[in-house]
Amino acid sequence: MLKELINKLADPILSFPIATFLFYLMVRYYKTFGSKKFGMWSVIIAIPVVAWFFADPNFFLIIKTPDNVPIGILLILVSFFTWFSFHKAAINDERIEQGLGPIEALPENREKVWSWPNLVYTELFAIIACTAFLVVWAIIFKAPLEEPANPTWAPNPAKAPWYFLGLQEMLVYFDPWMAGVVLPGLVVAGLIAIPYIDTNPKGNGYYCFQDRKWAIISFLYGWLVLWVYLIIVGVFFRGPNWTFYGPFEYWSMYKVIAEYNINLSEFLWIKWLGVAMPKNLILRESLGIILTLAYIGIIPTWVRKATAIGRKFYQDMGSIRYYIFMFLFITMMSLPIKMVLRWLFGLKYIVALPEWELNL
Amino acid sequence: MSENNKEPGMAYSMPKLHKIMAILSFIFLVTTLWVFLDDYIRPWKGYQVEALKIKRRHLDEQIKAAAKEIDAPKLAELNKKLKKAEEIVAGRKDDIAKAEKERKAVIAKIKDQTITNGILNGKVGAINFIYETSQANHEPKKATEKAFKELTILKNAFIKGKDDLKAFQAEDKTIVTKIDGYKKEITDTEKEIKEITNKLTLLELARKTTTIDPVFALRNLPFIDFMDPTIKIHQIVVNNVTDDRYFRQVPKVDRCITCHTLIDQPGYEKEANPHKTHPRLNEMVAIESPHPMKQVGCTSCHGGEGHRVHDFNSAAHMPDNDKQMKEWITKYNWHEPHKVPQPMLAKSQSEASCLKCHQGVELIPGATALNEGRMAIEKYGCNGCHKIDGWEHKRKTGPSLLKIAGKVDKEWFKSWVWEPKAFNKHTKMPAFFMQGNNSKPEFAKLNMAEVNAIAEYVWDKSKPYEPNEKYTGGNAEKGKELISQVGCLGCHGVDGLEDNSKKVKAYAGPWLSGLGSKVKPDWLVSWLKKPWHYQEDTIMPSMRLSDQEANDIASYLLGLKNKQFDELKFAKFNSANQDRVLLDYYAAFDTEASAIAKIAKMGEREKTLELGKRSIGKYGCYSCHNLEGFDGLSGIGPELTKEGSKPVTQFGFGIHHEVPHRRDAWITAHLQRPSMWDDGIDKAFKDLNKMPNFYMSEAEAKKITVALLGQVSDVIPLTGVKRLTANETIYHDGMKVASKYGCVACHQIDGLRGNILNMYLDDINEGPPRLVNQGHRVQTNWLYHFLGNVEPIRPWLKVRMPSFNLTTEDKNRLIAGFQQGSKQPTMEEPAEFVKWLPGEKEEAVKLFAAYNCVSCHAQGFTKDAPLAPNLYKASARLRPSWIKLWLKNPQAILPGTSMPSFFGDNGKEPIEPGYFGGDAEKQIDALTKYVVELGLK
Repeated sequence: MLKELINKLADPILSFPIATFLFYLMVRYYKTFGSKKFGMWSVIIAIPVVAWFFADPNFFLIIKTPDNVPIGILLILVSFFTWFSFHKAAINDERIEQGLGPIEALPENREKVWSWPNLVYTELFAIIACTAFLVVWAIIFKAPLEEPANPTWAPNPAKAPWYFLGLQEMLVYFDPWMAGVVLPGLVVAGLIAIPYIDTNPKGNGYYCFQDRKWAIISFLYGWLVLWVYLIIVGVFFRGPNWTFYGPFEYWSMYKVIAEYNINLSEFLWIKWLGVAMPKNLILRESLGIILTLAYIGIIPTWVRKATAIGRKFYQDMGSIRYYIFMFLFITMMSLPIKMVLRWLFGLKYIVALPEWELNL
Repeated sequence: MSENNKEPGMAYSMPKLHKIMAILSFIFLVTTLWVFLDDYIRPWKGYQVEALKIKRRHLDEQIKAAAKEIDAPKLAELNKKLKKAEEIVAGRKDDIAKAEKERKAVIAKIKDQTITNGILNGKVGAINFIYETSQANHEPKKATEKAFKELTILKNAFIKGKDDLKAFQAEDKTIVTKIDGYKKEITDTEKEIKEITNKLTLLELARKTTTIDPVFALRNLPFIDFMDPTIKIHQIVVNNVTDDRYFRQVPKVDRCITCHTLIDQPGYEKEANPHKTHPRLNEMVAIESPHPMKQVGCTSCHGGEGHRVHDFNSAAHMPDNDKQMKEWITKYNWHEPHKVPQPMLAKSQSEASCLKCHQGVELIPGATALNEGRMAIEKYGCNGCHKIDGWEHKRKTGPSLLKIAGKVDKEWFKSWVWEPKAFNKHTKMPAFFMQGNNSKPEFAKLNMAEVNAIAEYVWDKSKPYEPNEKYTGGNAEKGKELISQVGCLGCHGVDGLEDNSKKVKAYAGPWLSGLGSKVKPDWLVSWLKKPWHYQEDTIMPSMRLSDQEANDIASYLLGLKNKQFDELKFAKFNSANQDRVLLDYYAAFDTEASAIAKIAKMGEREKTLELGKRSIGKYGCYSCHNLEGFDGLSGIGPELTKEGSKPVTQFGFGIHHEVPHRRDAWITAHLQRPSMWDDGIDKAFKDLNKMPNFYMSEAEAKKITVALLGQVSDVIPLTGVKRLTANETIYHDGMKVASKYGCVACHQIDGLRGNILNMYLDDINEGPPRLVNQGHRVQTNWLYHFLGNVEPIRPWLKVRMPSFNLTTEDKNRLIAGFQQGSKQPTMEEPAEFVKWLPGEKEEAVKLFAAYNCVSCHAQGFTKDAPLAPNLYKASARLRPSWIKLWLKNPQAILPGTSMPSFFGDNGKEPIEPGYFGGDAEKQIDALTKYVVELGLK
């Protein structure tokens, strides 16, 4: 029963909003989240839950494959470091509120030490420990080298390396050139652009949340929900034919999902207006094009003018930084928006111009 | 504590850091060693050491046996003799020392002279070049002359040097002979000793190669073992057979012998795998066999991943049965290979691979399981609906329906088609209806409409037939006896004669059951007397039955009735059901409404005939039966030519998870109940699985599975496949005819088939003659004539050679096949053979009498009942050269023949040595001439 419920909840249609909501709770109540008590109880609760998951043969079948071991490690590390940063931030924020300044600013923490051996030597430790760990890992879990590639017999499911599974998940919702080229390109460009956009001097050298609230929220949302969560979906919930499978579900080759997606232009002309599709491509896709342009062009301006936070950003950053930031941010947000539209309405493309290889 | 140890500018204490460093270094060292060990420890190394020990054990046993074989007293005596000889030779010690000293001096001279000659030879070459160049360039005479002078001197010196060398060598030889003479006694005795102990010495040398000593250990130490290990991966690279690596074909690399090290060495048959000798060493693997492993490899036949030696599973071993599977799971942690396109064939299936290289032949000698599978395919006529390359020449399995109305009753026909096994439980006709997927009432009634329509169509197209004989009644008992004697059982099983029928396992014709409820009496007599009067292309021959015999047989067969079946009444014609089925066809490319309108416009008869034709097309009846309106259509089933390479993912297992997801398991399950894949699946009537049920046993299904697994798409380079020579092609074409007409049902040809012989196991000479090297035995022109005009050759036989309605083309193929198979000229001229030597004929007559040939070959000589063929007809039929072989050793040609071996087992010891000086060769020659001449008169 419970397993069936979890199977249902794991479907991205539900689990994505849940993940977003949990993210909201985490950020909203970060002090509770960052408390030692919360961390401890989480571990205490997580251990039997994980054991229960492992006891399920179908789940174990997936988690035990050598390729999926790094995902397990990823999950633990990401959870810990996220909690850890909030833990430190909560303490510092508390102190700053009290006017004490962050812990890192205490005199004993400002003392300087030699980089050799304090830094270099310990880095060598890390290198050796890491190498030894990787060697042991490689011996115990043999690299999953398989037979020579057979173009007529591709593996099913055909999965990207685990770190790209988030990208592969995006392919479900976007045209390949969007999901495979434009969006990843913007991710890289956006990450490079961060130091130039984020000129907020606060938060340098110490943990905090309040001082860099928006920077942390937008980064963590992109990282945790749009990247790590999608990797988890790609690893554990996508089986043969890239069909969704719950964590306790057997990956049957033959599972069929009823899905029929329709373009926005088809909604407009066929469903709403009840007329034939216009021959003119631009006219045909006009609604989608207008909406897209509005999304990119009008929203940043509207936010700047209509909202307090927009005004503050604009004031802090100046116009160029503001518009670049907003462009990157709304592009990032286009992913969850598109996902929701797909799930709710079976929307295929907002702008569907396969004639020009341009689908949004 | 640590706070106190910290120096200024330090965050950590140094000694603590060093300790961490030490621990980490140690861990790193351990992991590094682990890497080496992990790389070093391989299962196959263990097997090689094990094999070495097994080999040593065998050698020890052989050494023991060899030591026992040695005649100890004789050896002791020889050793004594050796001692004595040593004493004698010791007496010549001084002479020997002197001679040896002389020899040393001579050897020194030889060496010296060799050096001198070498230098001279070089100089001659150099000066010769100068001289020849000056000649060629027309240089001043003086220079040329000078060079010539020098050259002459050098050449002379070189000639003298060579001469000197020869003299020294001769001198050396003399001294050696002298020394040998002094030591003669020792050398001779030693030679004698060696003759006795040689085998033992060789075995001991072999044993030395199996010792595990420090040198062995050193050579195989981790890391050092890259230099010259003795434990190493062994591989065979087969250029003639390639592996498909998807983007290119690469020569096959088989490393199976890395673990199966003793596979090609006889003597290890009783060892456990992987140390076992190949069980069919004289056919495979061994270097002198037709398939040496260095040329054919291992996976060419067995399949599997031959290049992978990582562990037991990586080679994709497949167990032969559940027991072996369980054993492997505990022993090797076996699991089903994943993503391997061609796992190893299970042991009982490996013959399937013969087909890869041996194409264009009916059967492959030695490949019993495969042959049985192919014969089963032919028996059931799988190739009718499923195309298989190389099977195009096969006839249609079922009888022609072109004149069916003249043979059976329409009502019978319907009930028969509905459920053939209900009428004849042995029939090969499969069941299309009342199967798991179409037996529910709403489908069954549609099926009935189809059967009704099929019958109407067939009868509509059937041509009138009037039998040319009348059934006048006969003696059923006599008929039964005749059936069991004249050879009907070669092709037919018959009710009432189950014992013999089961022995023969005939497949060419139908099992005869309930004929009285099936055919019209006049038709039967007519059919028995002259089958092609009814069906022109039938393979049923005439047994040259007299009217009485035919009536007797008919009387017996008509007495076989199936009362239960007689009472069956087939479902009444139902127009609504007929329309419903027809709608499926008409609505395929049309809307339902318009299809219904179209059908409504048709007349009732028109609809029935239309549905009949469509249904015959749907079920593929025309694949096995000749029917008008279906000429040139291909079968309805998927092609099977490459079935053995079809990816497992393309097999539909439906809801049957208990069937292992493997190619072979699917085929075996499918053959036993083809409709099973529709179980639990909601399908429309028109989409049901149409493959009919043959009610095959699992054993039979497995046989066919083997044959189908061999139908692979592997590309074998031309150098790798067995390419038939022109002779062989003609032979195998002939065999195709022999197999088509069922010749092989009675005659065992070159050791294959001859089903009916199983009835004559008590006395093989009572059965149809076995044909061994038939092309050499008979004159080709005689055989041609005989096939058209059969006359008895062996008067004592009750089984008859039938008269076939062979086309000239088929006759020619048959005789050419035999002739080319034996690599013979068209004929041997008997008259030319009979050229008597002086006095030979007189002695031959006496010899002929002495061997009393006429006691059996009585015809033309005495009035006795003949027990052997007529010798007066021998020269027309037999080739003289074959008669000679036959006389020499008949048992070698036909084991168990009643022809006596007059010349012993080796054909060289005549039992009547008083003639021709006891020379077997001459006796045989004379007898042959005599016999051949008999026919010439």
